[in-house]
Amino acid sequence: MTRTRREFLALSGAALAGTMTPARGDRAIAGAFVDDNSTNGHRIRDRASFPSATQVEKHRIVIVGGGIAGLSAAWRLRKRGVSDFVLLEMNPQPGGNARWGENAITAYPWAAHYVPLPGPKAVYVRELFEDLGVLRDGVWEERYLCQDPQERLFLFGRWQEGIEPSVGVGPKDRDQFRRLEDLFAEFRASGAFTIPMELGLSSTTEALDRLSFADWLRARGVDSRPLLWYMDYACRDDYGARAADTSAWAGIHYFASRESEEKGPLTWPEGNGWIVRRLLERLGTSVRAGQMVHRIEARKTGVSVFAGHTEHRADVVIFAAPTFLAPFLVDGMTPLGDFEYSPWLTANLTIDRLPRTRGQSPPAWDTVVMDSPTLGYVDAMHQTLKTHVDRTVWTFYYALADGEPATNRRMLLQRSWDDWKEIILRDLERVHPDIRDCVSRIDMMRMGHAMARPKVGAIFSDERRRLARNGLPGGRLLFANSDLSGFSIFEEAQYRGVRAAERALQM
Amino acid sequence: MAVLLFVSVLLVAACGLIYELVAGTLASYLLGDSVLQFSTVIGCYLFAMGIGSALSRFIDRGLIYRFVWIEIAVALVGGFSSAGLFLAFAYTQGFQLILYATVIVIGVLVGLEIPLLMRIVRSRYEFRDLVSHVLTFDYLGALAASLLFPIVLVPKLGLVRSAMLFGLVNAAVALWSTFLFSKQLATKTALRVACLVVAAALSAGLIAAGRITAYAEDNIYADEVILSRDTRYQHIVVTRWKDDIRLFLSSHLQFSSRDEYRYHEALVHPGLAAIPAPRRVLVLGGGDGLAVRELLKYPMIERITLVDLDPEMTRLFTTHALLSSLNGHSFQSPRVTVINADAFPWIDSNREMFDFIVVDFPDPTNYSLGKLYTTAFYRAAGRHLSAQGAMVVQSTSPMFARDSFWCIVQTLKEAGLKTRPYHAYVPSFGEWGFVLAGFVDHPAPAAVPEGLRFVSVAGIPAMFDFPPDMSPVPMPANHLNDQVLVRAYDRDWKDITH
Repeated sequence: MTRTRREFLALSGAALAGTMTPARGDRAIAGAFVDDNSTNGHRIRDRASFPSATQVEKHRIVIVGGGIAGLSAAWRLRKRGVSDFVLLEMNPQPGGNARWGENAITAYPWAAHYVPLPGPKAVYVRELFEDLGVLRDGVWEERYLCQDPQERLFLFGRWQEGIEPSVGVGPKDRDQFRRLEDLFAEFRASGAFTIPMELGLSSTTEALDRLSFADWLRARGVDSRPLLWYMDYACRDDYGARAADTSAWAGIHYFASRESEEKGPLTWPEGNGWIVRRLLERLGTSVRAGQMVHRIEARKTGVSVFAGHTEHRADVVIFAAPTFLAPFLVDGMTPLGDFEYSPWLTANLTIDRLPRTRGQSPPAWDTVVMDSPTLGYVDAMHQTLKTHVDRTVWTFYYALADGEPATNRRMLLQRSWDDWKEIILRDLERVHPDIRDCVSRIDMMRMGHAMARPKVGAIFSDERRRLARNGLPGGRLLFANSDLSGFSIFEEAQYRGVRAAERALQM
Repeated sequence: MAVLLFVSVLLVAACGLIYELVAGTLASYLLGDSVLQFSTVIGCYLFAMGIGSALSRFIDRGLIYRFVWIEIAVALVGGFSSAGLFLAFAYTQGFQLILYATVIVIGVLVGLEIPLLMRIVRSRYEFRDLVSHVLTFDYLGALAASLLFPIVLVPKLGLVRSAMLFGLVNAAVALWSTFLFSKQLATKTALRVACLVVAAALSAGLIAAGRITAYAEDNIYADEVILSRDTRYQHIVVTRWKDDIRLFLSSHLQFSSRDEYRYHEALVHPGLAAIPAPRRVLVLGGGDGLAVRELLKYPMIERITLVDLDPEMTRLFTTHALLSSLNGHSFQSPRVTVINADAFPWIDSNREMFDFIVVDFPDPTNYSLGKLYTTAFYRAAGRHLSAQGAMVVQSTSPMFARDSFWCIVQTLKEAGLKTRPYHAYVPSFGEWGFVLAGFVDHPAPAAVPEGLRFVSVAGIPAMFDFPPDMSPVPMPANHLNDQVLVRAYDRDWKDITH
């Protein structure tokens, strides 16, 4: 990549700022890596020995994994009047990518922090939101809709509302924007790009899965720098991958699957953790956290799931944990080749005093800086009804999208908390020069396999579609994770969880 | 002669250092990060002095004449530097540019002074004596200035006056030089007149310095500020001019004691007087207690709950002699309960019912305040309204902010309330708007409390009539997730002020 003069100047400016900051004694910033589940995961990967079972429990259905997919399966079973099931979650806190935290100021998300207003095809999502009082008589509860102003983007030394670049955009860029919008509108009208994706998936679009989104854009004559940045940002934000590493089908799906969002999205201080909390209230003791499944074994008349000292015997097992874990747990399962995941770092910054902002801009829900390798930050106090806010928590998102996931995963674990702290603060200093004086704590979560990565060929992968359709031979082990859609979004996880529950009940 | 000459050197040196210190201090005050500001100001200044010294060799003839002009220029630029920079910070976007330009101009001029002086007197001294004497007095002047500045000048005179005082010293040196070197100067009158003009300007500046600083610090307060308080939530300022007392919150006028009765009578009586038997009243905002004063005119009201964010505000209007006399000591009434809380979360968590609700918030100037004008807020407030009750909302000006006013009306409608908009003329605000909202239609009141100065039974129907220049315009409702009101308000007021 050739650097433009502006980027070079920005870099040297940042370098200069970097050399000057240590002179002003940093205030002490506390914090740690939290809820790091790589140890448990690595024990499974390395096939460590686990204790043998000393007790047996019988259930009609066992759900493995307490993220949105698993919890949605449980929610569906309850709605069908079934209570003879148990959900086993490895972490002490259920929620998966929708986990949340809380401090004296506010609750805050650890990863997924919003749900776009579901379209007419996402019937299960709409049903869930009716259950939770988010949707009443076709009207969305106003206080759960993201408050105004929603997004802001810092580019060319200025702020704009929204993250689709409009500052410094010339007639050529606008023309390309329009052409691309028309193309996306055609794809939308074709009905092949839906949420849930399975409902529209059609072999007529298979060719789009054989090239990258970047190549597809190039072939369409798109060379506008702000437009390419925006397309790339979308891929990093939803898939944790650069446009060059993303299947064109997935890139198009991002833009063609949703109607333009006039009023959304839905969001809460703790992000999608709000939904998890409501589901946990309803599911009670059926959800068991801190239960690491270490082996799944098919039997003549059912399936055994081993966790701790307990053997859970079930008629059917819904495997809602990330699918790549299955071959390490399920006896006799062949290794998988088509499942790849993006590593992410998220950080929650306790802001004791609101920092200054370069230029003029009211605080927004989501703040993005163009040309930053990170995704920006989200303000947990944005949804407050208070008029006066003097402390808050910012959730900072960094998808390690550049380069190979395996390399980045190693880097994610190797870098110290201090290294990451510097990376985060320097990134924020671009727009908040006195951020160091305002932060008292930075907690970080490292997620090696944060979300499915829809690389070229991932969407139409036979392996993925076969597992999604049939589960394992015999049909007593059903898969439900969102990675079976090729990408990790709330609606896909919820759909797969609900569908798995429905199929389990038919057995 | 010799001593006088070297005293000039001392004074000139002191002046030069004072301007440098003034610029550095001012930059630190206004921009923060004193190490950075002082380093860059001193660096620029010394560098500019170097430029001045280098330039001095291009001055061949008329050394004394040019020296006097340079002194006059230093007096003018240096003397007004501080006042100019304050105003530049208050009124322009390019403070730093103006700061460094000023520092460089003064530095170049000061850099010219000593080389020229040395050349002027070189024929009278041995070179080694000359260098020794001039530099000795130069450094003595610097010492004097650096001690005077923090110990006497800043605490006693302040930055604006200090610079002006030393501008006068420069002007005096210039004038004095015209006498000292009167034989060598062909034309003296023009120089002396210029000296006197600059000196007069600086003297006038010294006298007006207080006003300049105040003007720079806040240009909006035309009158004497009698109270100024920074609270956690806002900047409270009370001004007074004769019998007119004005309250400003974060620079926005809240009331003028001359006509606030018009606003508060119009806010309370058209709605409240129409309710058959009001017993409980809620006031949201209104921490000045003036609306409560009007409410207390109804003996059947048993309890008034006022929720205002800022405890300092309600405290001032309870205990401050002058301010509490304005509201008739309304906060001391046993019927009144004051709660300091953020209004939206408070109504969300409270279950009490009220017969009348007064919503008197600051105008929706930003997205935070805009939340208090949304369908979500009015729905929440409506849940506290008894079936026969009414709510009145201060709704900005239907004349100057017509879109905003009708947007608020539409928002109340979409929140499921019946609305009756009205307006009143308040001289210090102009034509002002209110909206009555509730679940039932109320007839016009048959009586209002005695002793009102503005609202009367006969006058009320006219308040509900909107002439064509304020008549309804179609506007969408304001929602938390789409604050059309804040944008409309911004547009409305921009159209008027620009």
